[in-house]
Amino acid sequence: MGLVWLTIAHMEGIYRMNELVCMVITEVSPLSNDHEKRVKSEDVEESQIREAVRKRYRALAEQETSCCGPKVNTMCGCSTIYSDSDVASLPSDAAAVSAGCGNPTAIADLKSGMTVVDLGSGGGIDVFLSAKKVGPTGRAIGIDATPEMIVRARRTAKENGFDNVEFRLGEIEHIPLQDSSADVVISNCVINLSPFKQQVFNEAFRILKPGGRLAVSDIILLRELPDELKTNLAAWSSCVSGAVSEEDYIGGMKLAGFVNIKVQDKVIYTYEQMRAYVPDVQTSLSLAPPDNNIIKVSQGTDLSNMIASYRIIAEKP
Amino acid sequence: MDILACPVCKHHPLELKIDKEDAKEVLAGSIRCAKCKIDYPIEDGIPNMLPPGT
Repeated sequence: MGLVWLTIAHMEGIYRMNELVCMVITEVSPLSNDHEKRVKSEDVEESQIREAVRKRYRALAEQETSCCGPKVNTMCGCSTIYSDSDVASLPSDAAAVSAGCGNPTAIADLKSGMTVVDLGSGGGIDVFLSAKKVGPTGRAIGIDATPEMIVRARRTAKENGFDNVEFRLGEIEHIPLQDSSADVVISNCVINLSPFKQQVFNEAFRILKPGGRLAVSDIILLRELPDELKTNLAAWSSCVSGAVSEEDYIGGMKLAGFVNIKVQDKVIYTYEQMRAYVPDVQTSLSLAPPDNNIIKVSQGTDLSNMIASYRIIAEKP
Repeated sequence: MDILACPVCKHHPLELKIDKEDAKEVLAGSIRCAKCKIDYPIEDGIPNMLPPGT
């Protein structure tokens, strides 16, 4: 549930927080192999990132409706990442607060009776899709650290008669499920938000049964971000600054023990899509919110081909 | 409860203490990890399985 449009209403608190941490994480390079260690070494930074992310998604959870009508509201606007039949089968309340960057259930090869765990389940869209695919003998479990999202997803489940879903308030770095309990772990644009990605991969590996699969959609960094973005918590909670390279991301999966890791597909974001997050203050497009609420980057900074949405599958041997 | 584990030490099973329940779920109570002696509170039907201090 990672990606959302930047809006002033969502972001005010985070921008204030951002001022507090800019100095702390200025030197962190998302492309660096020791990125995690350097962030992790300062607990205060980690807690501020965590709070910024929770605040952001708390605001999203409290959003009542989507601007997208029957479509799913994501970073890319009224999205086509879910098929029409998937969208039609979904509770509208779940689609309204979806913030994914892909459709991991489409590559997860879900079968009847399976147990699926969604890391960062948000409003529950991927849990509900999974629940339909695994049927009444299976179960779909969402893990999310934002209480407001858990409340909303549980309400949606109740109102729409889902008996095979559960939503658990927990951290994806400390999953409250026992070892070898899941057939499939999915995640949609969330792992990038964690300052402890290795721990997330380790936990996903732990809860999977031998032979189980990890299927994720996530944002991957294609080249180094401008300094203004590296230091920005708002950009972190927008799934930009926390993103790491393909090499680091897949390296983390390998280190956790995953095998047969495959990039299924990727969508490289254009200048216009990045501008939704990072409007250039020197020009005025309708996407840009007022100056005091935007992430400023230098005029002429090329924002195209900087991040991409990947779908990756991996197996636990 | 069949699948829940302590988020800190991963111990399973956990002990359920019920203070209030309805026909479908436990509304209030706690989930205890006997190994690390942590109580995870259940409020409004939702167990808080976040690690303590987060």
